[in-house]
Amino acid sequence: MTTLSLTINGRKHGPMDVRDDLSMNDFLREMLGMTGTKFGCGAAQCLSCAIIVDEPDGTSYTSPTCIAPAINFDGKSIRTVEGHAKEGQLSALQQAFIDHFAFQCGYCTAGFLNEGQVLLERLARAPVSREALEQTIADALDGHLCRCTGYIKYHEAVRDVILADSTRYLAAAK
Amino acid sequence: MSAPVTITARVRIMVAMAALTSSLCAGYAASDTTSHGLASPESFANITDTEKRSAAIFTELGKVLTHPRCTNCHPAGDSPRQGDNPRLHQPPVTRGADGHGVEAMRCHTCHQKANFEPGRIPGHPEWHLAPREMAWEGKSVGEICEQIRDPARNGGRKVEDLIDHIGKDTLVGWAWKPGFGRSPVPGTQAQAGALVEAWVKTGAACPAP
Amino acid sequence: MRPSRREFVKLISAGGISVSLSHLAAAANAPFAAHETLPGRGHFNPAAKGAGRVDGVAKVTGAKLYASDFRAGDMPGWPQTTSHAILVRANDATHVYTGLDLARLDGALKPSVVVTAADLDRIGTQVPEFYAGDLFCPPGKTPLYLGQPVALLIFEKFDSFDQARLALRDGTFVKFGEETGPVIAADYGAYRFTRVAGSSPDKPDVYSPIQAGWVSPKKVQNAALPVWSPLAKEMPADYVKAAKLGDQIRAELATDDASLLVLDREFETQSVDPMFLEPECGLAWYSGKGGNLELVLGVQSPYEAAESLAHLLAKAHAPYKPSHINAQFAHLGGGFGGRDHTPFILYVALAAICFPGKPVRLAHDRYQQFQGGIKRHPIKMRSRIGIDRKTGLIKAFAADHVLDGGGLANFSANVAVVAATGAIGIYDIPKVDVTTVAMHSRGVTAGSMRGYGTLQTMTALEALIDEAASELQLDPIEFRRRNALKQNGRTMTGNPYIVSVRTPEILDHLEKHPIWQQRAQLRQTSGDRLVGTGVACVTKDYGSGADCSLGRVEFGADGKIAIFCDHVEMGNGIGTALANRVGFHLGAIADEVSVARVDSYDVLGLVTSGDPYTMDQKTQDAAARNSRWVPAISSATSASIGAHVGTHSASEAARIIFRFGLWPAALELWRIPKADPRAQQSALADWQNGQLTMPGLEPLPLARLAATAHARGFVTGAVAHSFSRWAWSRARFPLFGEQYLAEIDALAIRRGNNKFERINRSNVKFPPTDNNRIGTAYTSMCGTLVRVEIERATGALRIAKAYSVFECGTPLVPEVVMGQSHGGFAMGVGYALLETLPPFEGGPGNGEWNLGRYLIPRGSDLPLRDLEIEMLKPLIGNEAPKGMAEVVMIPIVPALINAIHDATGHRFRALPVTANLLKGVLA
Repeated sequence: MTTLSLTINGRKHGPMDVRDDLSMNDFLREMLGMTGTKFGCGAAQCLSCAIIVDEPDGTSYTSPTCIAPAINFDGKSIRTVEGHAKEGQLSALQQAFIDHFAFQCGYCTAGFLNEGQVLLERLARAPVSREALEQTIADALDGHLCRCTGYIKYHEAVRDVILADSTRYLAAAK
Repeated sequence: MSAPVTITARVRIMVAMAALTSSLCAGYAASDTTSHGLASPESFANITDTEKRSAAIFTELGKVLTHPRCTNCHPAGDSPRQGDNPRLHQPPVTRGADGHGVEAMRCHTCHQKANFEPGRIPGHPEWHLAPREMAWEGKSVGEICEQIRDPARNGGRKVEDLIDHIGKDTLVGWAWKPGFGRSPVPGTQAQAGALVEAWVKTGAACPAP
Repeated sequence: MRPSRREFVKLISAGGISVSLSHLAAAANAPFAAHETLPGRGHFNPAAKGAGRVDGVAKVTGAKLYASDFRAGDMPGWPQTTSHAILVRANDATHVYTGLDLARLDGALKPSVVVTAADLDRIGTQVPEFYAGDLFCPPGKTPLYLGQPVALLIFEKFDSFDQARLALRDGTFVKFGEETGPVIAADYGAYRFTRVAGSSPDKPDVYSPIQAGWVSPKKVQNAALPVWSPLAKEMPADYVKAAKLGDQIRAELATDDASLLVLDREFETQSVDPMFLEPECGLAWYSGKGGNLELVLGVQSPYEAAESLAHLLAKAHAPYKPSHINAQFAHLGGGFGGRDHTPFILYVALAAICFPGKPVRLAHDRYQQFQGGIKRHPIKMRSRIGIDRKTGLIKAFAADHVLDGGGLANFSANVAVVAATGAIGIYDIPKVDVTTVAMHSRGVTAGSMRGYGTLQTMTALEALIDEAASELQLDPIEFRRRNALKQNGRTMTGNPYIVSVRTPEILDHLEKHPIWQQRAQLRQTSGDRLVGTGVACVTKDYGSGADCSLGRVEFGADGKIAIFCDHVEMGNGIGTALANRVGFHLGAIADEVSVARVDSYDVLGLVTSGDPYTMDQKTQDAAARNSRWVPAISSATSASIGAHVGTHSASEAARIIFRFGLWPAALELWRIPKADPRAQQSALADWQNGQLTMPGLEPLPLARLAATAHARGFVTGAVAHSFSRWAWSRARFPLFGEQYLAEIDALAIRRGNNKFERINRSNVKFPPTDNNRIGTAYTSMCGTLVRVEIERATGALRIAKAYSVFECGTPLVPEVVMGQSHGGFAMGVGYALLETLPPFEGGPGNGEWNLGRYLIPRGSDLPLRDLEIEMLKPLIGNEAPKGMAEVVMIPIVPALINAIHDATGHRFRALPVTANLLKGVLA
């Protein structure tokens, strides 16, 4: 057992004792009942279980939860699909997913949403050129598996959010 | 119903049907990379020619270096492999600028500080790809030997440095305790270190490529 | 006997267990499940304006929607703690199973309950016929198949379960003894489809299945494959007749006739997994001592699931027999057929029955899903085709199919039938003879999966057609055009399609497309990078020949619309489609859409009996005299019937609400008396921006009409049931002094705020039982072009450009239709190039398979920016919606095979064509 404290979607959880071999996915789903984070493969292959980890330096990355022990998140600040909408207001990316009919069954959506959000925030810090954008989106989302959609509408949704605010996300043309 | 009854003639037909599909199975042969142990440096004492003895010792060490536990992350290209029947790593990651992955997919986001058994995933604080010039995948033991003693292709190490690198480095040591579903490299890390030491002391000669 | 795609077990009352089915409406933390959020609320036709799908907000905010999201604590009235079960499966099917060695589970890891075959005898379970076979392999027997369950282990606490599953994952605690070889069992079904057309298209057929019925050879003991010869002893007369004609066709193909090009080819497809992203999962709680059994499940076939559970426990002894079963159904994290009639639910129920008083969750992890989940049938095919060299017309086709059905029958016989009747694809061929057999094997059970047999046979066919065109030196599209079945032409079973046949138009689109126009110019057959172009065109049935739906539509005095439907949301957008289809009649998008509702139609008081697929006309006529009788009550959400069938009842209910609720309200508000001729002109009225408009009259908002209808006691709600056997049932209903004719067979209405009242039907006309001889009468078409680039050194294949064109009548939600066609394309690419499971040892039945080893397409495998999809406009303005979710995944598979041939000169005759295989032929 190890004592775990962490921040999820801005709210502090813990300290609480968790088993060292408890996965982060089971910690969220079984202990906290936060089932928005999905379980797909248990082997870091589909990334439907990915959440956002916020670093103290203001950067963020996504992490699959099925292959990571919960105790590795001690002291960390994370975001899950349940935390994107603020006061009932969907985030731009959530709205874009809906507008584009990006998902079908929706089981991979939390992973794509988290990955897309991290990409948006990364581009806001370090914009890329319009020419590099397609490959940047493709690289960012490629780890995530979806069996329903063929990915196209997810990519379109992410692209649209970026192009709709291009001064924020794209480097000025040379 | 009683215990199953098999009728010889029908079993034969089943076998014939199975043979037809063997092309599909070819890629899934059971692992043959089980650990068989390593011979000690002393066991090469009967080779009187020092150079030949040195080369023979390295050949023994080659059982470690050509094992999937090593070659998977010393790959020929920019992407690691995984498993005992080495297949391309999924998700498809690449080494990136520092060998730790690209910005959207860093090694450590999945590979944590240690193996995580429930996820069957290997881990180490320094999990990363060996540099491109250290690629071993698909090479003969002789070729790896030439490469490993060439400072331009071994991370600027003297051969003496390799004794500790192979014998004591904890990332290298992971290969002997790789976790569920992956066969460990033969012998122990200490034995491998002893082989490197004996090889260095016998002149670090290489087997024919 | 014809296999039924669905089997009804009618023991609900006979077993003494009452059954109720409902949606997850009661779950405290699941507001979206009960009342799905509608982003389009208040706006007219959100689909047209891109306002999203009705479950959109729930899905982007992580609301509890799927069966795997629910724990006991989420369910009102349940005990709060969830226990967990592990379903242990055999990883060997050639040795005698001797038992479990659970010594490694000591202390806290010890399971509270271990359920084995012996317990089933003690409980008195009975296996539903559809799932026939031991639910658990008893010690002393060789498992029937790899992955056959041997035991359930139940752990009261999550921590014990979590650590025990880690301790057990190597599978070595499942013990085996003597080697026996695999269990040999009878085949699941064998059929022969033979058709000989008349001397010209306007003449009747000489012989066809629709004239003569479907035929099967006599089962021969001790022979692995059926004996197809008409000369074999004791063959049934109807079979002999077909087989003699069939053998004659084969003899003609075998004669040395210089005027005929004959190709004789084999093709082989592989086993694949549907790989829906949410592994199967269920939650159940049995209060014990003959009390209630409550379940939360996620399946494509809720009605069937409830019936199967009732059958399972109908003869159970006290205290194991529940008095009531309440099954609640959740959204699905993907289905693709793999959750239609899944035996998994039986084990969920057993876990609860064996641990009374405690809610138990049974959830596959991905290894277990590969080990136990339904697979697609591998098929070995031999096809012979004869083409007149002079005219380029196909004269005859003969084929033999052997399907590997794996360990349980499931849908194997049906898949064999659909595969066979789809084997001539889009073509008009006067002489056809196809034999098919689905075999038992020790492989993991195969069943329903998107494409349902035709993916396999049409891939083989379209590769063969490509080869034939090349032998004849004919343009592949021109060759297809010459032979394409036209509207009113007869299919292999002898009936024409009763929907639009647009193959020629699709071929025109393919031919004009730049990918095809540039194929010669861009082709490269030498050098480091090879480039080739391929084409294929297919047609795929939708519907199963006995499909039905239940729909309930109602509006409040404030004009808010609610829809209930028995079909299931598995990503196919059924909820949004319902909202749009009802919106067409009621002028606004529903505020509430509840899917997977099997509980909202009690007022209809429906009863059923017999098998809708095998019933004779006399039996049907007799049964139909009971005005509550229907041939089937509820269908699985499968066979691409969502758009066509799933929304039909709600649409008919909405039509009645308009005609007898909103229209009379409008007449009142417009002060148009009944005698005024305009009172009969409801067809001229039109909804515009949520207002009912009529030339020269004041537009009326829905809310005003609704208030009036409520106040005046007009129709404010309707419940309808519909049934289709390649045609809808129809009946008249006495409504407000008129005998209203509708394509439904049961109706209840609500006047004002009153309760729903059943309306007795008259003149019911169920589609004739002879329609069961039809292979399919509903079909939709899709063609695909693809250009590939292959790197010689590595065999790496890149799809440079692709184009798919299809038709689906009137699309209910165009965005969902496009999304499904993207997804179908991706799934086809995976099937053609990546996905494969070894059938037996070393395959998924060993419990060691997961993604990574099993590859499905990811974004970088697909031409995300270079895939063009064209959806043809409906042929006529109000053409009915057609099922399209299956057809869109098929043509890319043979198109890839053909493109690879164009680039490499090699014809692959087995799937998948991996980079390694390509590298091999290019070396």
